[in-house]
Amino acid sequence: MTTIPLLLFLLSAAIIATVFAVVARSSGQEGAVDYARVNRLRGVFLLSLLVILGIFLTLTLPRLPYPVEAAVPERIVNVVGRQFAFSLTEGPGPESLENWDRDFVPDVQVPAGVLVEFRVRTLDVNHGFGIYTPEGRVLAQTQAMPGYVNRLRVRFDEPGTYNVMCLEYCGLSHHAMRGVIEVVGEAQP
Amino acid sequence: MRTLQAGYFPATPPEWFYAVMTLHGLGMVGVWFVAGLAAMSFLLTKYVRPSLTVSWIALGMTAVGVLLLVAATLVGKLGVGWYFLYPLPFFSEGTWPDWATAALFIALGVLGVAWTLWSGDVLRAIAGRYRLREALGWHYLSGRSDPEVPPIIIIATVSCIGVLAGLVAAVVILLLIGWEVLGGGAANDALLIKNLTFYFGHMLVNITMYFGVALVYEIMPAYTGRPWKTNTLVVLSWNTVLALVMFAYLHHLYMDFAQPRWLQVLGQLSSYLVSVPAAVVTIFSTLVLTYRSQTRWSLAPTLLYLGVMGWAIGGVAAMIDSTISVNQLFHNTLWVPAHFHTYYLMGVVLMTLGAVYHLAVTLTAEVENLKRSRIMAAHLVVGGYGLMLSFYLAGADSVPRRFAAYPAELTSGPMLAGISLVFILVLFGGLGLYLWDTGRLCARALRA
Repeated sequence: MTTIPLLLFLLSAAIIATVFAVVARSSGQEGAVDYARVNRLRGVFLLSLLVILGIFLTLTLPRLPYPVEAAVPERIVNVVGRQFAFSLTEGPGPESLENWDRDFVPDVQVPAGVLVEFRVRTLDVNHGFGIYTPEGRVLAQTQAMPGYVNRLRVRFDEPGTYNVMCLEYCGLSHHAMRGVIEVVGEAQP
Repeated sequence: MRTLQAGYFPATPPEWFYAVMTLHGLGMVGVWFVAGLAAMSFLLTKYVRPSLTVSWIALGMTAVGVLLLVAATLVGKLGVGWYFLYPLPFFSEGTWPDWATAALFIALGVLGVAWTLWSGDVLRAIAGRYRLREALGWHYLSGRSDPEVPPIIIIATVSCIGVLAGLVAAVVILLLIGWEVLGGGAANDALLIKNLTFYFGHMLVNITMYFGVALVYEIMPAYTGRPWKTNTLVVLSWNTVLALVMFAYLHHLYMDFAQPRWLQVLGQLSSYLVSVPAAVVTIFSTLVLTYRSQTRWSLAPTLLYLGVMGWAIGGVAAMIDSTISVNQLFHNTLWVPAHFHTYYLMGVVLMTLGAVYHLAVTLTAEVENLKRSRIMAAHLVVGGYGLMLSFYLAGADSVPRRFAAYPAELTSGPMLAGISLVFILVLFGGLGLYLWDTGRLCARALRA
């Protein structure tokens, strides 16, 4: 998935750089500007840009990552963040910093193929709950924000160890803030 | 920072990385905002009269704010990041003392007052010659071009209104946090503060970009020999930008699922649409201005032109990231610094460096060494885009931003950070040569 945006960007950047280079090279010659032609070209450029943006909106807006109320999650995992750890439990998890050591669980097991809802919150500052595939790519993410519960729904197709990393800067050991999701069972077609 | 991310000097405590990261972020946003506003104010003196006294006061207050930030980060090891996301400044986990947090907020207050004064004075100066509707060029929309308004006046008006609108949010943030911490009020709503923070921060960074573009509009015609005049398109473009830039910040909150969904969609729509006037009017017109113009490519027009190109390339990357379904994979990965460094370092910084060089050369009337200028520009392009590419590739490979050290499984993180060091050296070589040459010219101009 991330390859497509990268290739799209590299292609666009190459086109832009080429246009700028060609125009810069042309500046060695003398020529009057035909403003009627420029305006026609500008019109074509505007129309093309609007069409491209329209296509992208049409393709991407139906793919919003936010929970659809009609779908019922088959498994709930409560995620609680604090500086600098995530607790992942099917129970309520730590309700306060005072109860952290008692209720903290750093990993959770979920079956492959079921719709899991992660209810993500924090006991101190903002954190980013980022789920990484066993290959080390971001699969999905949401923020953990004080006073709010963000619901992230994921269906894991492949079994394996999915690491959780903090994707919102949260202080001194932000880079070491982790969690683990073990996905078990058969791979889904 | 890239040296530490590459795995060199592993004994360096992470608090140093995060303190320097904070100073770098706040410092670069501030330095280029001030440089852009100062250069634009100077060029505006051709048409209106900004107060030199206000400029000096604002510069002095900026220096005070910068000193406070330097003390907070390098002495107090304040590591909150450039947008100091509430309530992180108050959860130091023993890393930074309370005085460093206080210094941060005092510095922001001082800078806010300074930049309000400065932007307000630019608007006052413009109001001395044009009515507001004239300064925004609205009479062009009804087919009139009297009074003739130079594009820089319209861009300066739009930008300074934007600055003031952003600073209002900053004042609200300071008041809300001040009431909670000093007045004993209840804890603030983190989502509200985050909205206000990014409204302010995104606005400030975008307006800095527009300052750079104003420099291009005003200076580039001197080298291409073609005028860049206000017309209906320019007016429509900049008024649309003023309206849309207020909402584009919403793309910073896509991953806050508690944010109402219609605001998220509005974020993608406004982020897409704000790119249209920039591309169709300013970037397209830069190309028209240059095409077969017999431009002599000395350093100033080269940097201005390259700056517009960087703005275009960074803009594409920003639009990709402002797509909600893509943002779920790219949010807070290195793709984010990749795109904003492209339109900042390779955009507004090059535009501002080009403008300053133009002023230095104009003041000294020295014959430019074109060979040296080309070496400088080549270093900036190769070094800059090499560094950017290391960010883009890492971002596409899910490497997080703002990590002092990478976990073992993210192998591309340290590898790309290591490769980027070569490009950073090349970039620094170009910047060093530029600073030496421009400093020499400025010193000569002052002696004269």
